[in-house]
Order: sequence, then structure tokens, then C-alpha cells
Amino acid sequence: METEVIEKIVSIEKPHLEAPPDWQPVIMGILCNWCSYAGSDLTGTSRIQYPPNIRIIRIPCSSRVDPWFIIKSLQTTADGVLVSGCHPGDCHYISGNYYARRRFLVTKKLLNFVGYHEDRVQFSWVSAAEGQKFANVVAKVTEDIKKLGPLRLYKKENS
Amino acid sequence: MDYTKQIKEIAGKLFSEEKIDVFIGYRNSGFDENQVPVLIHHYQDVDQLVFTEKSVFNLTNYLKYEHTRNKRVGLVVKGCDSRALNLMLTENQVKRENLYIVGIACEGVVDEAGQKAQNCLECVMPDSVVFDEMLGTPSGKREYQVNADIRELDGKELTERLTYFEEVFENCIRCNACRHSCPLCYCDKCCIDQETSTLYHGANTTSSAFHALMTWSLHLAGRCVDCRNCEKACPSHLPLHLLHKQNEKVVYENFQEHQAGMIEGDRGAFYKYSMSDPDDFIM
Amino acid sequence: MNLTTYSTDSAGLQAFYEAIINAHETYAPVEKFGKYDFKKVDSLAGCDPDSPIPQTMSVKSLFFPKSAKVMKYTATSEGTELSDTTEDPLAGKRVVLGVKHCDARGLQVLDAVYKWDYIDTDYEKRRENTILISPRCDQAVTHCFCTSLDYDVENLDAMDVAVIHVGDGKVYLQARTEKGKNFLKENNKGLSAANGAAKEEMKKQYDKFAGSFRLSMDYKEINEKMQDKFDSPAFEEVSSNCVSCNTCAFVCPTCHCFKISDEKIRDKGVRYKSYDSCNNVYFTLMAGGHNPRPVKYRRWRQRSMHKFVYYKERFGVNLCIGCGKCTISCPVNISIFEVVNKVVNTMQE
Repeated sequence: METEVIEKIVSIEKPHLEAPPDWQPVIMGILCNWCSYAGSDLTGTSRIQYPPNIRIIRIPCSSRVDPWFIIKSLQTTADGVLVSGCHPGDCHYISGNYYARRRFLVTKKLLNFVGYHEDRVQFSWVSAAEGQKFANVVAKVTEDIKKLGPLRLYKKENS
Repeated sequence: MDYTKQIKEIAGKLFSEEKIDVFIGYRNSGFDENQVPVLIHHYQDVDQLVFTEKSVFNLTNYLKYEHTRNKRVGLVVKGCDSRALNLMLTENQVKRENLYIVGIACEGVVDEAGQKAQNCLECVMPDSVVFDEMLGTPSGKREYQVNADIRELDGKELTERLTYFEEVFENCIRCNACRHSCPLCYCDKCCIDQETSTLYHGANTTSSAFHALMTWSLHLAGRCVDCRNCEKACPSHLPLHLLHKQNEKVVYENFQEHQAGMIEGDRGAFYKYSMSDPDDFIM
Repeated sequence: MNLTTYSTDSAGLQAFYEAIINAHETYAPVEKFGKYDFKKVDSLAGCDPDSPIPQTMSVKSLFFPKSAKVMKYTATSEGTELSDTTEDPLAGKRVVLGVKHCDARGLQVLDAVYKWDYIDTDYEKRRENTILISPRCDQAVTHCFCTSLDYDVENLDAMDVAVIHVGDGKVYLQARTEKGKNFLKENNKGLSAANGAAKEEMKKQYDKFAGSFRLSMDYKEINEKMQDKFDSPAFEEVSSNCVSCNTCAFVCPTCHCFKISDEKIRDKGVRYKSYDSCNNVYFTLMAGGHNPRPVKYRRWRQRSMHKFVYYKERFGVNLCIGCGKCTISCPVNISIFEVVNKVVNTMQE
């Protein structure tokens, strides 16, 4: 996938777009520093296996996620986005994830409205103690995106 | 709906009592049947003012510019405009004590074809919600209804919606008129301005349009008051209201029937939260 | 030049258009969201060569597109490798139908700047390979004032092939350039040579058209008086209700300012040339933060002075062609006609 040559924006996102045989999805993981990032760390230290398709970005809080982080990821190299934060009530900044929750819903619905499949963008609450859950979430997201195939829509043209 | 006489009187009185420095209203363009917003600085210019159903543009947009900053301003607001003004007040963009607001109990404005505008048919609050003086008889709040275009698009397949919106984004020429004509896009440096941010697309490509319009509409989600200044400004006549109306629908249905700018001091939907917000879409 | 004139009827014209679309790469106004823009077409059914003037975008986008690739680059450990972009999609031989006369005239005006000093080869190629087939207007609309500017509108030299509806379903096709002449010669199936009455009928049609203008001004007076209006307070007044939305420049057939930007992912990127507008607050922003035109009236002054003074000084022709597109698109209906007249007629203290 990487920096693929996309001369003309491909018109229709098919649910089962034919992918090249060796294709692997790229998933942008935007994780909150206090819970999900620590959770992913625990996954690693506990030696739990999860798909290597995710590229993780650490952010201070899930409410730091401006909707354009998600849009930008989808437009450059990602085929899907996973945003993860603390469970409601556990936010390090007291209420950050409550604000984030509202934004996530609207972002997800709007992306769906303009023609992206709902599963392209997913959200999860993963605490620092949930190493197994993080692995499961990544596995599920990877599975979903693999089903949907590569995303080529409105990609930034760079070649 | 013709309040020309009353507005002239009010503006004249305000100037003669030296209560304001500038009055923002409408005048006839003189070239066609349209009206042009006008900033009046002197008592003798008050006679230009008019207000009819052709007074379409949302005047609160002018509170963003240097002409009105730190000045005492009188302005005319319809229902939707007043909601935008309410949000600007809440977000500390203007000071209430600097404003003299002439509210209108609006009966709906007309579009280019002379028909009643679509947003007026679906208007939830035709009367000004913040005012010093009210013209006309208030008809009260109306029930929210989902936009017909949204209902139609919602019933379509994903791929159909995709093809439809692809055309929207392809026809965008990235002039940023939508952002500049929106009263709530008051940031000096907007994140969709191509010059100020390297994170954004600098070229006027389709991907840039997609990025800009999506981000822009999400920044206005829960704040958009449906005045349709953006759509009037768009040189390509893009149906920009679809994005806003979709967000408005999601916000209304999920966040305690939130409607932007209805109550003084009420912030946008993204600036508050509730414990009972929907959580089922999160793993 | 001996002008080749053919005559036909409405059906013949449709057949002529149809034949062109079948034989050549053709662009024509296509309606989308109530606005006509020039797009590539496969059949006459999908387009409208007689699209209404106010709803039609300028043809400029086919010669100076909203965004065009300039070059590609790849960063490697040895340095940066540059390469040419792939084929220019607008450079091929093509025919454009339904170009408005003001648009065609706009291209003529633009030629001056594109063929001066540095020659823009892309633009030149696109111009050379294009045949403009353009119907003459029958009726001026609200904001038209092209007859008031320094060009004889009766003269149709800006078009390659002029299409003139003289009423009663009768249509004349006239080649106005060498290119157009050759083109018509090759594609004259179903057309018959015009008789002697053609000139007279065309003149009559023009007179009717010229009589339908509401707006008129004396451009010579404007050019002359604008010169010392640089410090006029009128600019502040006329620009006070502008919302700096840039629409006017983007729809203008002769605005040609552009910006250069890079689109890059990791080590590969493309350099783009895209529309820009002098009404944009960032247009004159310099590295270091100084901005000579931070306020609206200065930008409006630049815009109107460029249209009516600077360009005239340099190339002997006004940059404004009187099409009224900016006024139609403006969200607050600011008219450049009104602006310049107000500036000229405002007494300076």
C-alpha cells in the first residue's frame, strides 16, 4: 500500500474491493496516553499477540482528537482508524472522554453519511489494565477493515 | 414582511442619541432586486435602510471584522441570525453591552427564485431570541423536523451517497467563501485556510475539498444555526446544508435535543456533555 | 481576412454540435447543482451549449485549472529528484462549445500576461490546441456591461467560430480565425454557404443585443480618473460590506493569480499551482509576518486598480471585461461596476 499511485480518485467504494494478494491494511491507532496507550503497553509486556497492522499515535487525551485527525489519516495512508481512550469516569482530566464521545458519534455518522463504511472508523474504551481487550479490539478492527478492502477514496495525490 | 419604516426610525433615534457608532442593515442594491448589507456610520445615511423578505444575508457575520470591533453596533437580526449572535456572545466574540439588537419576528426570506427559502420552511425559531427591541409579532418556537434532503439521502445505499458526494467535492473550487461568510467561523486563522497550516492540503484538489468541507462542517456541528450564508456564498452552488443538517440531526437526536444558540449562555453541543450520551457504538 | 460564413437552422446546428462531439474531444457547459461548468462531454444530451450566462462558470478553468500539477519530486538520501508531471490532461486537441463571448474575450486579455516576459508553455499549448465555438449572446443580463469596455463587442475575433442566432431558427456560423476557418472547412457537413444577407442580419442581431444593456460607463474616464484615486476614502466605504470570501476572483474569467503548494506524503510529493485571490488576507502575507494589505479596503483597492489601471498601463487593455460574474456570485452583491463608479465619482478631500 504505502504511497500508492492514485492518479484519479477511484469512484466507488465497494464493500469487497478487490485487494492485491499481498495487501495488508494500515490502521491508524490514536490512543490516549493514560489508559489505552498504557493498555497497549500491557498487551506487549504480557506477550499477547495482536495483528501488526496498527500504527499507534499517542495523544494526551481522547478529547484531543479533532475530527480532522481521522479524516487526515484516511486521506493519507490509513485504511481505517481506531481511536481509543479511558473508560467513562476514568479520564485523567476528569471529563475529557465525555466530550470526545460526542464528537466521535457525530464524526462517525457524518463519514457514513458521505459514503464511508461505518467500520472504517472505530472507537473503544481500553483501560491500562485491559491488555487482552486491546488485543481483541485491534484484531476485530483489522478483521473489519480486511473485509472492507483497501480505501482509496479522496486520497491525497502525491504522484 | 416590511419593517423598513421602523428600522429607519430606530436607527435614526440611535444615531441622534449617540448610542451607536455603526448600524448594520440592508439597502437596495440599485442594480437588481437584491439587497446589499450596508454599514451606516452617520445619521444622514439612515434613509438607505430597508428590510423586506429579500433581506437574506446574516448580518452577524460583520461582527467579525475590524469595522465593528470595539465599537457600539446596532444591527438587525432575524431568528436564525439571532441564534448565531447568541453563540457569538456565549463564545465571547462580541460584548453584549456594545450591541443594540433589533430583533425581527421573521416570516421567512425568499431564495433566488423568489420562493420561500428552504431553511425558512424548516425554521425552528423564526423570532429573534436575543434583542433589545422586537419588530413584528412573535410566532414562537416550532417543532424540529428532519430535513427532507437528509431523509432522502439516508434512504439511499452507501455507494449512491458516495457518488453523490463525490460530485459535491469535485465541484468545490476551494475559494473558502463558505468559511468566510459564516458568522461562527470567526477564527482569524482558520484551520481550513490553506496558507496557515501545512497540515492541510495547499492545492485546490478534490481531496483538499473533501478534507476542508468535512472538517469545517464538523467544527460547526452543534453550532450551525442554518442561516445558509455558506450556501448563498458558494459560487458552485454546492448543497453545503446537507453536511450541516446531517450533523444537526445527529446532535438533536442524541444529545438531549440540543439546538444551537436557542438559549442565552447555552454553548455548542461539543462544549458540554451528559453522562447519558450514547455509548453503544464504542467497543 | 476573408471570413467564411455558413448558414444553417436550429436542427442543423444541433447536428453540427453532435458531429463535433462524436469526432473530437469536446468540452461544454454541464449542469450540476444549478451551475454550469465546462466539462468533457460524450453526447449533446448531457450538456447545454446555450447555457444561461449567470449560471455559467468561466471557461478559464480549461486553460488555467483550479489546481494543476507543476512537477513531482522524491527525496532520497542522495538529494531531491525532480521529474515532470504526467501528461497534461488539458493539452490535447479539443473543441469547446458554448463559450460565452465575455469568456472568450477574457482569454484574449489573459494572453497578454501569459505571453509576456515569461511564456507559460502549458497555457500556450492549451490555447493553441483549442477551438472555441461560441454563441453570441442574444440578450444582456442584469450585470452585463461588456459593451462599455475597450473592445468592440460586435467584433467576434475572440472566438474561433462564432454562432449567431438571427431569429426564426436561422443560424450563422462564422469562422473568425485561421484556426476556426480550417476547422469549419473540415466540419461543414450539413452547412450551406451563407448568402449576401448574412452580414446585414448579423448586424441587426447585434443591434438588438447591444440595445438590451442596462449598464453603461465610459471606461476611458474611469481609466483616467482612477489613476489618482489610490488614496481615495471611497475604497473604505465600498469595501465595508465585503466578506473577503474570494469568490469574485475564483469566478472571474481574467483573474490569474495563483499560489504554489506542495502535497506530500513521506518522501514523495507533487507541486501544485492553484487559484488564489487578492481578496484573501494571506495573499500578501510575507515570511516574517508583515502584511501590507491586512484590511479589506486595501485589498479592494488592489483589485479594482489592477482591473482598471495597472493592467491597462502595462498591456493597454482593461483586465475587467464586464461579464458581471463576480457580482452574480458575490454573497453580498457587491458590483465592481458600482465600486469603480463610486470611487471615480467620490470627491477627494
